[in-house]
Amino acid sequence: MIALFIDFARRFARNRAALVGLFLVLVVIGVAIAAPWWFPRNPLRIVGRPEIWPFVSPRYPLGTDSLGRDIAAMTAYGARTTLLIGLCASLTATIIGITVGATAAYVGGWVDELLMRLTELFQTIPNLIFVLTIVSILGQKIEYVTIAVGVVTWTPIARLTRAEFMSLRDREFVQACRAMGMGSLRIMFGEILPNALPPVIVLSSLVIAGAVLFESAVAFLGLGDPNVTSWGQLIGDGRTLIRSSWYICAVPGLAIMLTVLALNLVGDGLNDALNPKLRDR
Amino acid sequence: MRRIIIRRLVQIIPLIFAVIVMNFVLIHLAPGSLFDVMTSEQQITDPAMLDQLRHTYGVDQPVTVQLAKYIWSVMRLDLGYSYRQNAPVFDVIMQQLPATLILMLAAIGIALLVGVTAGVMASIKVNTIWDNLISLGAVFFFAAPSFWLGIMMTVMFAVKLGWFPVGGMRTIGVDESAIGAVLDVMHHLVLPATALGLFYAATFARVMRASMLEVARLDFVRTARAKGLSGGRVVLAHVMRNAMLPIVTLLGLQLGTMLGGSVVIEAVFSWPGIGSLLFDSVMSRNFPMVLGVLILGSLLVAVCNATVDLLYLRLDPRIKAR
Amino acid sequence: MIMGSTAGPTPILSIENLQVSLFTRRGVLPAVDGLSLTVSAGETLAIVGESGCGKSLTALAIMRLLPNPPAKIVGGAVRFMGRDLAALSEREMQRVRGKDISMIFQDPMTSLNPVVAVGDQLIEAIRRHNEVSRHEARDRAVELLRRVRIPDAERRLNDYPHQMSGGMSQRVMIAMAIACGPKLLIADEPTTALDVTIQAQIIELMKELQSSSDMGLIIITHDLGVVAEVADRVAVMYAGRKVEEAPVEALFERPLHRYTRGLLGATPSAQRRRGSRLVEITGNVPALSDLPQGCAFQNRCPDVFDRCRAERPQLASLLPHRSAACFAAEKELSRDAAAIGA
Repeated sequence: MIALFIDFARRFARNRAALVGLFLVLVVIGVAIAAPWWFPRNPLRIVGRPEIWPFVSPRYPLGTDSLGRDIAAMTAYGARTTLLIGLCASLTATIIGITVGATAAYVGGWVDELLMRLTELFQTIPNLIFVLTIVSILGQKIEYVTIAVGVVTWTPIARLTRAEFMSLRDREFVQACRAMGMGSLRIMFGEILPNALPPVIVLSSLVIAGAVLFESAVAFLGLGDPNVTSWGQLIGDGRTLIRSSWYICAVPGLAIMLTVLALNLVGDGLNDALNPKLRDR
Repeated sequence: MRRIIIRRLVQIIPLIFAVIVMNFVLIHLAPGSLFDVMTSEQQITDPAMLDQLRHTYGVDQPVTVQLAKYIWSVMRLDLGYSYRQNAPVFDVIMQQLPATLILMLAAIGIALLVGVTAGVMASIKVNTIWDNLISLGAVFFFAAPSFWLGIMMTVMFAVKLGWFPVGGMRTIGVDESAIGAVLDVMHHLVLPATALGLFYAATFARVMRASMLEVARLDFVRTARAKGLSGGRVVLAHVMRNAMLPIVTLLGLQLGTMLGGSVVIEAVFSWPGIGSLLFDSVMSRNFPMVLGVLILGSLLVAVCNATVDLLYLRLDPRIKAR
Repeated sequence: MIMGSTAGPTPILSIENLQVSLFTRRGVLPAVDGLSLTVSAGETLAIVGESGCGKSLTALAIMRLLPNPPAKIVGGAVRFMGRDLAALSEREMQRVRGKDISMIFQDPMTSLNPVVAVGDQLIEAIRRHNEVSRHEARDRAVELLRRVRIPDAERRLNDYPHQMSGGMSQRVMIAMAIACGPKLLIADEPTTALDVTIQAQIIELMKELQSSSDMGLIIITHDLGVVAEVADRVAVMYAGRKVEEAPVEALFERPLHRYTRGLLGATPSAQRRRGSRLVEITGNVPALSDLPQGCAFQNRCPDVFDRCRAERPQLASLLPHRSAACFAAEKELSRDAAAIGA
């Protein structure tokens, strides 16, 4: 087990870009965790003069926004929202995707047909429009945003899980399980799933990046949860001031970009490490 | 060929049907009754009108009847009435649709042009500084949120340099010669289309590079070179033609995301398309409009998907054999 | 002169001391090592050997189509009609390919572009080297398809490769190769991927086309039946080197190199029939990265002796018109001579 992990880590580390990505992700996670200690008071509180540029005042290294709130504090707290929603949405998408894909492949027949049509349906619906519709009907709450993003991002995971299951379904070890009289659910989740998981994990990690982008778009449009800070929301708030203080938009935007970039790089690295066969394209 | 087209179009019907049913479910999930949802915050106070609405939505009837009624009305393209615009939802959406189509087409054009060119360049100069630069650029644009890119481009090219307008689709109060109007729209189109297109350009560049390298190794490329064709002709007529196929598939898969992306971009650039309409409707809780956009948007994506599939059929003769 | 002897006319192609190396992570491997060959107009040279012996790389080196990386010409000359092809610029070489020298490949099903109609692929080859209108090129394409015996040629122009059988595709490849009347045609295992009956037809077609045009032909093959049928002269390659060269009858009559003997089976005069494959020789070809001192064939040779392990045999004219690089053969021949003398 440990040897396996070391082998995995070595292959991951061979991808230099993935290491950079991992470092960046750890930094963002660190900031998210440290935010309450670093900025113990409410980040949405007004601290000083509005529109102080970054690197001007040592007390507000990233400046203040139009209301005089500390951009550094808001960005740090925004990391929490963004990561939380990204992770939970990806988890939602993964659970839906694995369930749909595994069932479709294992049961087959009309169930497979129906579930694949469903997948197609969710691929056809313009996803951001769907997210906005859900959020506007159910209400602007962080849970609903998370679920909505999960609901529009599960389709690739379902397709991949289905394909993996299809190829594993008829292998000897599965047939052996069946011959032993093992139940369908136990075979599906106990025997096949662990073998199908590596590529699915890679895709899930990439879905986090996509979810972060979705969440930021929703928040940017002002449809996120108004009670929590998020990077998209900061950009949305700063938009009116681009003539005088464009940095208000620039800082959280860079944060989104670097986070998504880092997540993508880590995803690529995981791909190299977990699917060595697929690596040499 | 006509049979294939018709068959492909027929496949759209159950899809749209499912979208309608899902809409209905969504409305029922909402807090409050269907009626509340459909009329909320539209400032309808006239009791006669309220009665009429109650009847149209069949609020007093069982759920199945309501569903049947809803499906029936959508089939007749009756998506409800928007009191905000004082016009049927369908008409309002149709009026806004061309602007979105123009934006999407321009974005697709930019994405294909930039993405394919970059991917081909990177594959030809594989493992050189050019390849690395293009890959690096692709990684960045792949990670940048399009709305943020749009804002930053506005700051740079509209506010600081003044090359392009900050938003909108037409300059108000300028002479209306046909060519002048087209040029004016194109001038307004550059920034939003680029902001929307660059993400997809990044995707296309990555896929195109991999696909080019893959195809370049195939036997028929060697045959083409053995014929004495120049390097450029081999790349254009043989490698690229085959390497484009995955791009076409990808384009089909991403149309839905792209239409979604145009909502945000339209909001950034006040582009008068269905994205702005949706945004406005969501903000004013104008649900008939929101659901109408969702249905027609899905229909649009489904039709575009079918078109892309048919295009693929033309590009890859091997598919027809099936 | 250790080069194989040539019959009569001046050769159109003469390869002198060709060296092709593979630049791999494990180091530089000599894939073709000091190869010399000649081909005259109207003559057919067969290059025979197991896979990995460097015969296909030789063909690609003549065409300057080596996959680079990893393969590269590092020495020698490829003289074609007096010009050294190895020294031409890429642009000049493009004017030679498809016009003066053509090539057909092993797998016809993957050698044609799947998304372009075969007619267009033919027309492209014609128009590349001839200033003709599209219409004229089309007429010529039809005529070419007729020459390679494709029925209903006019209609077949619009077909795509997946609509054709392997034999048909190879005919198209041949039509494309002869489109501009080349002086030399290189066929790299042209029948290996085809059914046995189709193989015979393709070989027949190539012989016919050659006899009507006086072009030189290099045929690279595993198939000794094909060699017996078409070749005038045979060059046998092993581990990147030519180990024997002889006129075809002489070679089948009495193979000199022990490797050639292995290829032909135990009895040198055994009747060869079409489709008979190389007889398995025990042992493995040594890796290029790991060639032994002395003869590369020593670990598989039945007649190996001390000298073979110490010294690498060089090609030598052991009999009129033929050469071999084999100490066992030299010993045997000198013993024969001594017997006659005694």
